[in-house]
Amino acid sequence: MDWRWDFTFEVVLPRIWQAAGVTVWATVVSFLLALVGGLVLMLLKTHRSAWISRPATEFIEVIRATPLLVQIFFLFFLLPEVGITLPPLTTGILALAIYNSTLCAEVYRAGFQAVPSGQWEACVALNMSTYRTYKDVIIPQSLPPIVPALGNYLVAIFKETPLLSFVAVAEIMQVSKLIGSEYYRFTEAITVAGIFFLVMSLVAAFLIRLVDQYVKRSILH
Amino acid sequence: MNRIGIVVALIAFLVGLSVATFAELRVFLPAILRGAVVTVHVATLSIALFLLLSVVAGIGRAYGAAPVRWLSVLYIEVFRGTSLLVILFWMFFVMPEFGLFLSPVAAGVLGIGLNFGAYGAEVVRGALAAVPRGQTEATIALNMSAFRRMTRIVLPQAVAIMIPGLVNLTIELVKATALVSAVTLSDITYAAVQQNQLHFRTVEIFSITLMLYYCLAQFVRFGGAALEDRFSRHRARRA
Amino acid sequence: MIRFDKVLKAYGALEVLKDLDFSVEKGEVVSIIGPSGSGKTTVLRVLMTLEDIQGGTIYVDGEPLNRMDVNGQLVEASKAHVRRIRAKLGMVFQSFNLFPHMTALQNCIESPIYTQGLSKAEAVEEATRLLDMVGLADKAGHYPSQLSGGQQQRVAIARTLAMHPEVLLFDEPTSALDPEMVGEVLSVIRDLAKSGRYTILLVTHQMGFAREVSDRVCFFDAGKMVEEGVPGDLFGNPRNERLRQFLSKVLEAS
Repeated sequence: MDWRWDFTFEVVLPRIWQAAGVTVWATVVSFLLALVGGLVLMLLKTHRSAWISRPATEFIEVIRATPLLVQIFFLFFLLPEVGITLPPLTTGILALAIYNSTLCAEVYRAGFQAVPSGQWEACVALNMSTYRTYKDVIIPQSLPPIVPALGNYLVAIFKETPLLSFVAVAEIMQVSKLIGSEYYRFTEAITVAGIFFLVMSLVAAFLIRLVDQYVKRSILH
Repeated sequence: MNRIGIVVALIAFLVGLSVATFAELRVFLPAILRGAVVTVHVATLSIALFLLLSVVAGIGRAYGAAPVRWLSVLYIEVFRGTSLLVILFWMFFVMPEFGLFLSPVAAGVLGIGLNFGAYGAEVVRGALAAVPRGQTEATIALNMSAFRRMTRIVLPQAVAIMIPGLVNLTIELVKATALVSAVTLSDITYAAVQQNQLHFRTVEIFSITLMLYYCLAQFVRFGGAALEDRFSRHRARRA
Repeated sequence: MIRFDKVLKAYGALEVLKDLDFSVEKGEVVSIIGPSGSGKTTVLRVLMTLEDIQGGTIYVDGEPLNRMDVNGQLVEASKAHVRRIRAKLGMVFQSFNLFPHMTALQNCIESPIYTQGLSKAEAVEEATRLLDMVGLADKAGHYPSQLSGGQQQRVAIARTLAMHPEVLLFDEPTSALDPEMVGEVLSVIRDLAKSGRYTILLVTHQMGFAREVSDRVCFFDAGKMVEEGVPGDLFGNPRNERLRQFLSKVLEAS
């Protein structure tokens, strides 16, 4: 095997470092959008009217059972046809956000369901308002399972961002492919990209464990 | 069975679409179905490799001697930590540097199998850990050998516990095969993009594509549910 | 039959059994009573090799369990040695520990077939006889989840008997049962005790039952055997202050 360090340091690292900014930006923005979108989807799914809950449920089902990449392509081709022209990065972030909001919706739902029904009954028996019930009793108890699960999805989104290279977003994967085809050398760029994802994932997993422990300690003592 | 109904309806819809009067449908559907053959081919091989690696690394991490355990942990952490697309590119573009020229199918199957095997290993390990300690104690009290304990008592119970997790991963795996066009395979997704660039029928082409994947996922789910029934007969209700 | 010689069992700094000397004669029925945390269950668990000991020696039928004699030297026991000695022991657990993926009959034939080399037909015949003995002949094809707690525990007893042990260890066999099912399990244990075929060690909270079936009752407290005697003496005329307190608390509760 031939590995060139000068090439790695002079060409690969600077360009991948730049691309890492795009990757992180895409990760963070789509994660935040997914957090909000997941909340909306969960509210729609648990809505009293079947006219609202049923389509929401089916939508979640279809999005979860189909590949994110196909959804990215779909949005990428569909939006211009209906007259919406967005940069590929924005379209990609949108697709990532939609896909992951269906997953977040499920996390929220599971979190609330994990609170024993006796807690709701106790709140009713104590004549607490809906607001106080959620704020002081339900949400604090449902956070411990929700927080680590959301953290895992943040890492998952991070690992999904290379899919944006399929629509030519200049994130890490795309840039390392470009370097590869410009210099006819793939080894350094793709390996550096792989190590970048590995290190970031391990660091993130460690941070999630810290946050998880903090949440458990501060809420459940 | 609500889900069977959905799938039958979807298949009927697909058949209906294929005989529909749109000229374009007759043009692009065959290409997409040829892509489906590639997808199923890659998915089947990947599932086999994924299951094998899950069991080997899962048991290795749970019960292996120190070097086996470290090797399992290293494998699991590395292949869970990186992105599948990076692994696929690595298999296809970097492996030749080591003198290993993989065919596109081999690169796809190896990449997907290694990636999902790392996740599956954690499912298997969790399932092994979920078999109650009392079961092991009973085998000791009954003087069973370690091998019998594993094959007759612990594994059968762990299998029942791990099936739902492995089924979910299998569905994720089928979805992940959409990435194999990165190693030059003409799967469903590749065919869809290509046909769309030829015919500009985005809504039709991608609806069909999404439905095909949806059907594949449901198919895996049925298989999984049947397996789960088979392995948890003993959890019957009180007679 | 069983002899504990200065047995020490510790979890880190916590000593559960402190230099315990204790023995049981062949054919004797011995009950062990005591407050929780007294180490009474640990006696059975170290004897069954579910836990290792940090000091001392346990003898079964004159042979050391955790060591073996090689040319006059006591060395760490081999697996084969432990398994040979262990074949003389059978244990019934508080939480039954039946194999949930096997029927009652399969539970009873699994180990005899593989560890005693019985043919399947022989094992089935023996298991059927034992299930009949514990009153569950009609439940042979049922899975544990289809049986009540009392029935599960009786299957567990049949499963243990199928191994032809000489010593039976009962670890609080009725503690996990609903009150109305305690009787059916105790009646099976009573028959086994009366048969005189087994050496029995019973850890229990059922004082009345211990008094009825035991040749000897031992009171454990804080990892030591504090008092032992025939049931009439120990219950009727307890000498140790801790035992008196324990008995009065237990009687108060019932």
